[in-house]
Amino acid sequence: MGDTIETGAIRKVCVIGAGVMGAGIAAQVANSGTPVLLLDIVPDGATDRDAVAKGAVAKLLKTDPAPFMSKRAAKLVETGNIEDHLDRVGECDWIIEAVVERLDVKQALYTRLEELKRPGTAVSSNTSTIPLGKLVEGRGDQFRRDFLITHFFNPPRYMRLIEIVRGEATDPALAQRVEDFADRFLGKRIVPAKDTPGFIANRIGTYWLAVAINAAMDQGLTIEEADQIGGRPMGVPKTGIFGLIDLVGVDLMPLLSKSLSSTLPQGDPYFDTLRPMPLVDRMIADGYTGRKGKGGFYTFDKATRTKRALDLSNGQYRDTIKPASLPRAADKDLAALVSAPGKVGAYAWEILGKVLPYAAMLVGEAADDVVAIDDAMKLGYNWKFGPFELIDKLGAGALAKRLADEGRPVPPILATAGDRPFYRIEGGRRQYLDASGEYRDVVRAQGVLLLEDVKRAGEPVMRNGSAALWDVGDGVATLEFTGKMNALDEDVARLIVQAIPVVKARFKALVVYNEGTNFSVGANLGLAMFAVNIAAWSEIDKLVSAGQQAFKALKYAPFPVVGAPAGMALGGGCEILLHADAIQAHAETYMGLVECGVGLVPGWGGNGEMLDRLVKSPAMPKGPMPAVAKAFELISTAQVSKSAAQAKEMSFLRPADGITMNRDRLLADAKQKALAMVDGYTAPEKPVFRLPGESARVGIAGAVADYRKKGIATPYDEVVSGRLANVLTGGDTDIVDPVTEDQLLVLERKAFMASVKDARTQARVEHMLDTGKPLRN
Amino acid sequence: MTSVVIAGYARSPFHLANKGDLARVRPDDLAAQVIRGLLEKTGVNPAEIEDIILGCAFPEGEQGLNVARLIGLLADLPLSVGGMTVNRFCGSSMSAIHIAMGQIQIGAGDAFICAGLEAMTRVPMGGYNPLPNPELARINPGAYMGMGETAENVAEKYQITRADQEAFAVDSQQKAAAARSSGKLSDEIVPITTKTGTVTEDGTIRGDTTAEVLATLKPAFSADGSVTAGTSSPLTDGASAVLVTSEEFATKHGLKILARIKSVGVSGCEPSTMGLGPIGASKKALERAGIAAGDLDVVEINEAFASQAIACIRDLGLKDETINIDGGAIAIGHPLGATGARIVGKAAALLEREGGRYALATQCIGGGQGIATVLERA
Repeated sequence: MGDTIETGAIRKVCVIGAGVMGAGIAAQVANSGTPVLLLDIVPDGATDRDAVAKGAVAKLLKTDPAPFMSKRAAKLVETGNIEDHLDRVGECDWIIEAVVERLDVKQALYTRLEELKRPGTAVSSNTSTIPLGKLVEGRGDQFRRDFLITHFFNPPRYMRLIEIVRGEATDPALAQRVEDFADRFLGKRIVPAKDTPGFIANRIGTYWLAVAINAAMDQGLTIEEADQIGGRPMGVPKTGIFGLIDLVGVDLMPLLSKSLSSTLPQGDPYFDTLRPMPLVDRMIADGYTGRKGKGGFYTFDKATRTKRALDLSNGQYRDTIKPASLPRAADKDLAALVSAPGKVGAYAWEILGKVLPYAAMLVGEAADDVVAIDDAMKLGYNWKFGPFELIDKLGAGALAKRLADEGRPVPPILATAGDRPFYRIEGGRRQYLDASGEYRDVVRAQGVLLLEDVKRAGEPVMRNGSAALWDVGDGVATLEFTGKMNALDEDVARLIVQAIPVVKARFKALVVYNEGTNFSVGANLGLAMFAVNIAAWSEIDKLVSAGQQAFKALKYAPFPVVGAPAGMALGGGCEILLHADAIQAHAETYMGLVECGVGLVPGWGGNGEMLDRLVKSPAMPKGPMPAVAKAFELISTAQVSKSAAQAKEMSFLRPADGITMNRDRLLADAKQKALAMVDGYTAPEKPVFRLPGESARVGIAGAVADYRKKGIATPYDEVVSGRLANVLTGGDTDIVDPVTEDQLLVLERKAFMASVKDARTQARVEHMLDTGKPLRN
Repeated sequence: MTSVVIAGYARSPFHLANKGDLARVRPDDLAAQVIRGLLEKTGVNPAEIEDIILGCAFPEGEQGLNVARLIGLLADLPLSVGGMTVNRFCGSSMSAIHIAMGQIQIGAGDAFICAGLEAMTRVPMGGYNPLPNPELARINPGAYMGMGETAENVAEKYQITRADQEAFAVDSQQKAAAARSSGKLSDEIVPITTKTGTVTEDGTIRGDTTAEVLATLKPAFSADGSVTAGTSSPLTDGASAVLVTSEEFATKHGLKILARIKSVGVSGCEPSTMGLGPIGASKKALERAGIAAGDLDVVEINEAFASQAIACIRDLGLKDETINIDGGAIAIGHPLGATGARIVGKAAALLEREGGRYALATQCIGGGQGIATVLERA
């Protein structure tokens, strides 16, 4: 996991409070491989005094998306209670308090912790509202030195933000240790926040949602219209605004509102958004608390399988109404959106005209700079752009002018910016505008290497329409996919082949990496369907062959190749990784050979690579079948790992492959891994397989037929899996004959071509392209 | 011919594969503990034992090599005691008893431990390396057919409704639960020491199940079929053992004789309806014993599936009150290789406990055959 931490390392963590946040934080600590003690109260009259913490872990194991990355991680959480086990905080190097949001309860706990913990052990609160100054009232100097606020976001595994508030007395070295751990082990990006109510993300986020709901009601918009205008064009997740509230919980709104309005300073614009919400109150009272309840602003009618929406005007559910398309310009251009005629422009401006100045007002108050605020909203609320990046799209000057024209106050930082943008590129470096009006470099955390920064600073070593090769320093080159969705095509194969002599001549090692949301979801299916429609079979065969050859060239290149995936690595995206000497994966890597789902079989060497991994896996029983059967199971059912740890359990990753918790550190870690292999590097030996041939296929076919009878496999699944089985069992081989990698490639290509020519495969691919969902034919 | 008797019976608790309390116990360790338990219970002098004959349906991995011999060593038996592993799938350990009987009758020994073993957690059904003969698979697909499918075939052929199967399963569960709660199972169970504690009771029995609950289950093998997980025996970890001796040996050494083996039989049948195997085998054994089905006071018929057990009971005309008095495999479990010794031992013990003269133990076997043993009260 990441780099090792120097002395004073955090080797064990205690989380007190096993609610949703505490338990989720404990799970993420465990995901990093660090043991964690999870404590909660002893329930009244309990026979099992640890029942609360134990119940929380049981709930974690059932939660989807999963808080744990592997079963092994779940075993690292030890449960207990604060009456019998609080003295065990002495074993821990960091104590995270995540108890109920009440000052008296927290202070009482700290009084006990002050006696029990070792001096120098960090204590942090996950409070989202209570100021640090209040929390440490009555505590001694040592406790104050050891104390800080670490505000995680829900769910702690998946949300990359942590807001950290250091108190005036907080020991900087201790805070640094906690931040290092949160960064490298928990995978969080640290956003330094000031000790103000709601810190950064929740303060802006709560205000934003309140403004958006009020405006939708006042302007008579349907929730679909509101989500259309306030969603994608502003870079808000596809849930939109009302969908997001359903996701986080409708009942959270009044809670946040209550806590913020009791702590925010007088005159804060948030107070203007408060108004009675009889509709929301009734929804909560009736159990319509969002996705966790009976439904929220949207519901799903199971009987008719239709999505329904709440009519804000009368509180009744009705079928969803698709809003008219946005004007073309407004969909793409934020300035056009806010100035669009009618309700589109009015609603967009009502949101952005309030929320962006509110964010601007918080520079200096809640955060030191615009970067912290942008990071907080991007990582804590999944905004694609931060508030100041949105302002740059509108133009700071234009925004200030419209505010002034409407007689509204212009926040000082907007005035300072004038017509200048908040971000600019200078000498290949990204700079931001600070409160004094000076530009400063955006500084990455120590050791972070981002391709984004490399690209800004220079030109690629080589590139074509679908891939590029970059120099990332220290003799390491990086191969990046650049096509839409990082799809793999003939150009990627071509660039790989062209890059190999270049890397050999000018570099020591290669890392295959990119900074897309997903590493690659495989081949460009749309393009493939185009070729199918004109029956360009020889072209398709050439593409398959080119991919096979390129990936093998990568495998046998005379330098180390490290694959560094994050997000989805599916189909061809998985196959290229299987050809690397080693993989350094982001913890959130979802890997799988999913071709069978669209009626294909892996065609770029994935079958042989998977077999080779499984044959060599010490976990496999002996004999000709276990590796074949396991590969068949993984591929025929298109299994995808739900984490990098699970990808290792599934053998997509080898035991020595690495996992990086922090996305920002993936490239640096992969580069280190590649450089460590340089000395004495030799390309791998070609594997030779002993495969069981037809006998094994009979066994596999019997098992698949059973699945079809059970209604689990479809008739065409049986056909596709038969083609796959033919590859994995070595075709017409006899068990005594060796099968070479090249023979396997030929079998694989034949199986692929037979599938792609099959109308049932074509129907699956078309269905996937149209709906994003698999067709079960 | 020399009279051969069952002079002792013991088994491990039976537990669900993968999630039960025996999932982390090696099969050879499990069987060794059961054999030690049998020796202690019967008081037989281990040095007098000729051989361990052990049945196992998938003798590979941890139950591979000649595991019978290894278990003898693990159980610290005298080096002079031999060991042989036999495989007739589910009929393996009943075959072990038949072999012992034959050995005694040809004068090749007086006392045999006939054991059975299957750790279905640790060696999967079908084994690690199933490699069917392609030609046989073409000409006789039943030879490799999944057991669930054969159970569906039997249900279809004998028109056994889902409700009938479920009523049978509930009955089996209730009988087993009642037997356990009245302490009737504890006599036969050898407590098993594991890394995390001692296991003393079966983990398979669901005495509180009802026909209503079972009716909600999805078909397990065919989307439009009638066989569910509730009307099938569960995948089980377990081991069993009986002491088979000549009557003379037992009497001479003061062993408690449970029953005399009256006759045995095996018979092949159509593989795709292998569940009907007990019919032919039982008919042979009954005829060899010179008795009719109506003469039986105790019947232990293995419940691989409710459908096949019902079909055999109907076809053979067995009396309901004689069937699986302490519950059958649907409740207790079916560790393939261990079941034969369990039901022969159980039938002998029931004759002794319940009175009556004749007992039948019979079971179906994958691949299409049946095996049967007729016992007579000693």
